[in-house]
Amino acid sequence: VAKTSLTSPPWPEVPKLPDPVEEAKYHAEVVQKVNGMISAGEYGRLFAVVHFASKQWKVTSEDLIMMDNVLEAECGDRIRLEKVLMVGADDFTLIGRPLLGKDLVRVEATVIEKTESWPKINMRFWKRHNYQRKKIIRNPQTVLRINTIEIYPCLS
Amino acid sequence: MVVLSAARWLRSRLTDRFWRVQEVLKYARHFRGRKNRCYKLAVRSVRRAFVRSTKARREKKRFLRALWITRIEAASLEHGLKYPAFISNLVKSQVELNRKVLADLAIYEPKTFKSLAALAQRRRQEGFLAALGDGKEPEGIFSRIVHHH
Repeated sequence: VAKTSLTSPPWPEVPKLPDPVEEAKYHAEVVQKVNGMISAGEYGRLFAVVHFASKQWKVTSEDLIMMDNVLEAECGDRIRLEKVLMVGADDFTLIGRPLLGKDLVRVEATVIEKTESWPKINMRFWKRHNYQRKKIIRNPQTVLRINTIEIYPCLS
Repeated sequence: MVVLSAARWLRSRLTDRFWRVQEVLKYARHFRGRKNRCYKLAVRSVRRAFVRSTKARREKKRFLRALWITRIEAASLEHGLKYPAFISNLVKSQVELNRKVLADLAIYEPKTFKSLAALAQRRRQEGFLAALGDGKEPEGIFSRIVHHH
């Protein structure tokens, strides 16, 4: 029969998904492999995506983070960042939905300094109305250094 | 004798005019033309510069978000997905990464971004099957919602 514009539906042809049983076997195999790699320690530098101070940061070890607020911890305190969204190395990544478990990842950081930002100038001006206001704003800032990111082989 | 008013040679004179003028000119030193030297012109330019910087601080956030979106769109097109499909399917698979981090991953972690694109594509196909097939077929694996307690 000849092909007309109405022989097939207008949406693109959806390919069939692979068999769920085979998929489950494949997934279990992958999980076992990654677990083995983690317990054997065959990864280089780890990166993590952490949710902290209402922002998300892509973080590695030994790097600095500056946030625009006050942290109630003294300088030199070790802090554990708990909301980890994703962890990865060169060969594998662990994607959290949306967070990863606390028994799986551990991200440690130290508070390095607590300062104020440079004086930012806030000025408002309306022309022809003799209105101008000038305000100097200094925000408190905290600097953290991420010490280590560790993962434990407890996948399932 | 009692003197009630100060003598005429004791006038109150402005002695730190130089420093008051320098306070304004120091912000104008990198400007072009006479407004980096002459106070009358500098005052106007410095005022406009301050007002523009306050407004720009609010627009910087919009501008950066548009930049991240452009970068994510480019990266996802490299993997054969359009930006709305990518973001909507990631959100439906309960992956709550924001655009800043996605743009950074697209630049510095290409393998991770490829796996995220594959996840979004798979979730998209499961969505199509769920919508078109309609019932009695097995639920997709990546469409299952994870419940945290």
